[in-house]
Amino acid sequence: MNKEFIRRIIPLQIAAILLALSLSAVILTILSISPIDAFSLILSGAFGSPAKLAYVLTAWAPLLLCSAGLLVTFAAGLWNIGIEGQVVMGAVFATGLMRILQDSLPPSAVLLLAALAGLLGGALWGMLVGGLRRYGSVNEIFGGLGLNFIAGSLTVYLILGPWKRPGIGSTSGTEPFPPSLWLPGFKDFQASPIEMILGLIAIASVAIALRDTHFGLRLRAVGMNMKAAFLKGVPVDQDLFLAFGLCGALAGLAGWVLIVGTSARHNLYPLISSGYGYLAILVVLLANLKPFWSVPISFSFAAISMGSLQLPLQRQLDSSLGGVIQGMLVLSVLVINGIRSRWLRHEG
Amino acid sequence: MKVELKDIHKRFGPIQANDGITLSIEPGTLHGLLGENGAGKSTLMKVLSGFLSPDRGEIRLDNKTIRFDSPAEAVALGVGMLHQDPLDFPALRVIDNFLLGSPREFLLDRKYHQTRLAELANRFGFRLDPEARVSELSIGERQQLEIVRLLALGVNVLILDEPTTAISTQQRESLFRALSQLTEEGKTVIFVSHKLDEVKSLCSKVTVLAHGRVTGEAAMDCPTKELVKMMFGQVLTVGKRCEVRLGEPILELQNLSLSDWRLEVKDLSLKVQAGEVVGLAGLEGSGQQLVLRACAGLLRPSAGRIWIAHRDMTGRPYQDFIEASIGYMPAARLEEGLIAGMTLAEHIALTERGPSLFIDWTMAVERASQRIREFNIKGQPTTFVGNLSGGNQQRTLLSLLPSQPKLLLMEHPTRGLDMESMEYIWRLLQALTQQGTAILFISSDPEELLERSDRIAIFFGGKVRMMDTCGASLFDLGESIGGKGFE
Amino acid sequence: MMGSKKLWMVVAVFTCLAMLLTACGEKKKPEPAKAPEPAPFVFGVVLVGPYNDHGWSEAHYMGGKYAESKIPNAKMIYVDNVNPGAKPGVTIPQVAEDLISKGARIIFTTSDDFKDGTLEAAKKYPNIPFVNVSGDHAWKEGKDYKAPNNLSNFMGRMEYGKMIAGCAAALTTQTGKIGYLGPLINDETRRLAVSAYLGAKYAWTNILKKDPKKLKFKATWIGFWFNIPGQTLDPTKVAVDFYKSGYDVVISGIDTTEALVEANKMAKAGKKVRAIQYDYKEACKEAEEVCLGVPYFNWGPAYVKAVKMALENRWTQYWDWDGPDWKDINHPDTSAVGFVKSRGLSQENAEKVDGFIKGLADGSINLFKGPRQFQNGKTYLKEGEVATDLQVWYFPQLLQGMEGRSK
Repeated sequence: MNKEFIRRIIPLQIAAILLALSLSAVILTILSISPIDAFSLILSGAFGSPAKLAYVLTAWAPLLLCSAGLLVTFAAGLWNIGIEGQVVMGAVFATGLMRILQDSLPPSAVLLLAALAGLLGGALWGMLVGGLRRYGSVNEIFGGLGLNFIAGSLTVYLILGPWKRPGIGSTSGTEPFPPSLWLPGFKDFQASPIEMILGLIAIASVAIALRDTHFGLRLRAVGMNMKAAFLKGVPVDQDLFLAFGLCGALAGLAGWVLIVGTSARHNLYPLISSGYGYLAILVVLLANLKPFWSVPISFSFAAISMGSLQLPLQRQLDSSLGGVIQGMLVLSVLVINGIRSRWLRHEG
Repeated sequence: MKVELKDIHKRFGPIQANDGITLSIEPGTLHGLLGENGAGKSTLMKVLSGFLSPDRGEIRLDNKTIRFDSPAEAVALGVGMLHQDPLDFPALRVIDNFLLGSPREFLLDRKYHQTRLAELANRFGFRLDPEARVSELSIGERQQLEIVRLLALGVNVLILDEPTTAISTQQRESLFRALSQLTEEGKTVIFVSHKLDEVKSLCSKVTVLAHGRVTGEAAMDCPTKELVKMMFGQVLTVGKRCEVRLGEPILELQNLSLSDWRLEVKDLSLKVQAGEVVGLAGLEGSGQQLVLRACAGLLRPSAGRIWIAHRDMTGRPYQDFIEASIGYMPAARLEEGLIAGMTLAEHIALTERGPSLFIDWTMAVERASQRIREFNIKGQPTTFVGNLSGGNQQRTLLSLLPSQPKLLLMEHPTRGLDMESMEYIWRLLQALTQQGTAILFISSDPEELLERSDRIAIFFGGKVRMMDTCGASLFDLGESIGGKGFE
Repeated sequence: MMGSKKLWMVVAVFTCLAMLLTACGEKKKPEPAKAPEPAPFVFGVVLVGPYNDHGWSEAHYMGGKYAESKIPNAKMIYVDNVNPGAKPGVTIPQVAEDLISKGARIIFTTSDDFKDGTLEAAKKYPNIPFVNVSGDHAWKEGKDYKAPNNLSNFMGRMEYGKMIAGCAAALTTQTGKIGYLGPLINDETRRLAVSAYLGAKYAWTNILKKDPKKLKFKATWIGFWFNIPGQTLDPTKVAVDFYKSGYDVVISGIDTTEALVEANKMAKAGKKVRAIQYDYKEACKEAEEVCLGVPYFNWGPAYVKAVKMALENRWTQYWDWDGPDWKDINHPDTSAVGFVKSRGLSQENAEKVDGFIKGLADGSINLFKGPRQFQNGKTYLKEGEVATDLQVWYFPQLLQGMEGRSK
């Protein structure tokens, strides 16, 4: 299997990356932008200085957490599009708890409890998707989209309503938390090791859980063949529910990072999930559901996201071109995998 | 239109479904195609109607060699097939289905087509409401719609694959009348069935298939006995299991009624005792699978009760049935039985229950190796089940059954196995029955049924008849499967 | 063993990728930096909306361009669309870092939404001067003074522009109903809505001599400076609602041009409706016949002042609140706030507006003078009392006679 992986899959992934780069280059050229220029801008925008690298790492942490969560739901064959809402609810719960306790408990305790609140908020929102699927026969994609929308509206309501800043009615966000409630960073390097370590631990734990625990094995069985898994006595409904909860919890933790992270805005604002959840879906797809690969891939996605901010700054281009490149990567991999499985079918 | 098939070959993996079939059908006749399950009838007809392309061989229509790459091309050339399960779109209306795939016009003239639909339907005495939703129609009405649709497309050769399995007597009569009328109009009708009496009363000529070959052809005054011989061969096995000591009842069905969307089994009572082997015979889709799945807790009966080892299990979830020590083995290996992307060891670990969070892989691998030896599986504990051959998958499926179940429920336990492995598996199963396991199994191999069962439940269109195997002959069984004794 | 092999593969793939990209990048580099000019003095501008929004952000962009033209060798770099809709999660310190690494020696953050972020960035980069437009962290007498020395603020006294807008609106309205399309709610926006109302009320009662009770003035707030789908009310819909319910003049308080766009559509359909634009001098260009005029910011001089201070190394903290040049409120070099009339305003009313401006200029009209009551009936200004800067800047509530939420 591993030989097969190195011999067949890796050349294909490389081919996919080259395909993606050339397709992006074509698009950029059509927009009369020099692709080389754009690529090198993105690269220097991501790694040009320690501060830039710090921002890449800042984006990496929530991406890792979301990817870890999605590895669980994807293993179970679920499309947890609702992950964005789960990030948002994690942020909402964390913010709520911090607002209540920030004046009565020491900051470290508040931060820790807020992390737990974030886990809880995301998990509840994730299990709601599972519940809708189980008891309402709502496909998790539609349920997730609906709940994303509700989570977004809820933040706007909270920001304009109960949690608004005194005398101000603006959707721009709640009152920022004081620096004592930020995760500590380094003096000249504004990225907290805590965020990254959490993300890496999450990926590693998910990898181990999927491979070596009964729960993980059952989830994979459900993901590959739900009917056979059921007939083998796997409690399918219960396990799927747990998968949603687990993914939601990790996404919720990402929401907490987006509130308290060293380089965050330190308040709750609409769209706080910032598309990290959706981006993580692309990461996990590109990693072919392999935990190990989602680490470097999420890192390079964070780099592309941060680096592409250079495009408007330097060349008056839209930064969403970074998204084009990421999307191209995923599409190319999917297309190449599709072609590969067609070949295999013909061979067989 | 004259239809000729010459030397048709078609193979699916290890199975030679059609092995050099040559067959000629005169225009304007109603030709029967008779054969056991798996004889190759459906494959042959799918080849003729463009759903499958043959590996080798030739199709001639009116003395011209033709080749289709799709059913649409076949229809354009005049060959249309009515499938066992109508291939329509239940969410659409009758008229929309009627129009599907038909006119090459950009804007549809609905009025015109509605009249055409009504005209055609009236001609054959079908009653079809153009605005009704297809999902609300019965199977018989859906067949009628499909026939009318194919005729409107100008089909000259109409193939019907087991059309009477799920329709009412009235609908059957109206269908038969329509078919006779069609042949009078000069169309060629090919009627695929396993029901001897239907073929006898309807067709003018019949071709019998077995194991992918033509085993006989006869004009329709041929006696039933001859036809059965052609279907099942000359060797007539006789049931041998006569002296079996039976224990207490393991499975009791009381006035059980079951139904799915096409079939109903009514008021079935059956008692299976420890150590007993009951075979479920009949053509596929005659109700045996419904009963087996109900016994496994996968299908909720509409009436009646199911007892397993003196416990009322009616309406309980599948999990409870597992805990009551049943073992269920589905027919569809890779769809329901196994998980293609998992290894043998993972399958073993999956069926394991225990309080521990982590999997003991050493143990799982060890136990997988043990099963591999026991069941003679050609593979390693780390082999992906999807990479095993069909026979080895079947062995894997058997190896994963619980080790000492009270009740084993199996669909086609030895399908795809060679004689030797089949013998070996049955020896293992018989060892289980001696320890008190009761077995219920479905098979389409009459010899296996006769040889291995103590009793056979024969299913025909949802009705059940019990038969003692001791002293019964393959001929008796064949006749019953064909519907004798069910009138 | 397997792990290290995998790791190697990952590293290999990404090094290849990186080499590929850098190799491509390097080819680009030799392109010669042009003739040996003295290194330009770079100033960075952070815009909340698109640089060409025909509103607030474009006004700032033009201000930067003006500074480039007035100061030899000054060069603007900017990032636009820094808002949670277009760049969620992007922070001011992050953008500032970027601008600084591109050579920016002073940074303008041009939204009240950037207030907190600018404070954080200014503390992080103490050697770089920051100017937060519309903020008050650098106002020593203000209520929220906490800026480090490198952070200053400036703002234009748009109250006057809004008063003129209100005056033009009241002179024009046939139904006596004026709509105010408000952004989010804070001190600044309340202040500006109130100013428009005061101008309208003055024109209605003092120029037209009509019954003050017959004047309706309603503010509807969308929640942000411009439309962010799903987060704010849709300004297009708010504008349409105004026009459909008899408000025939809508004064825009938001950064973008929805009010005028909708008025134009309505006018084409035969309705007699008008709009007043905001922020950007050229904002009426889209539909001059339905536009009454635009109160606008002329940021250029303020940018020149700040850039020069930084350039000449004489930076000191300041808080500027610049008003119109009453000699010529549309003078590009001296007036921080102006008003351009448009063709939608009749000749007769245009003359009356000019008279009103004159009154403001010579001090004969002072609208922030008592008696004035808040919406809740409490006194804002006693009889004859003239509001202080603090009272005008920190505007806690709408005034009596206005409809709409105060917070």
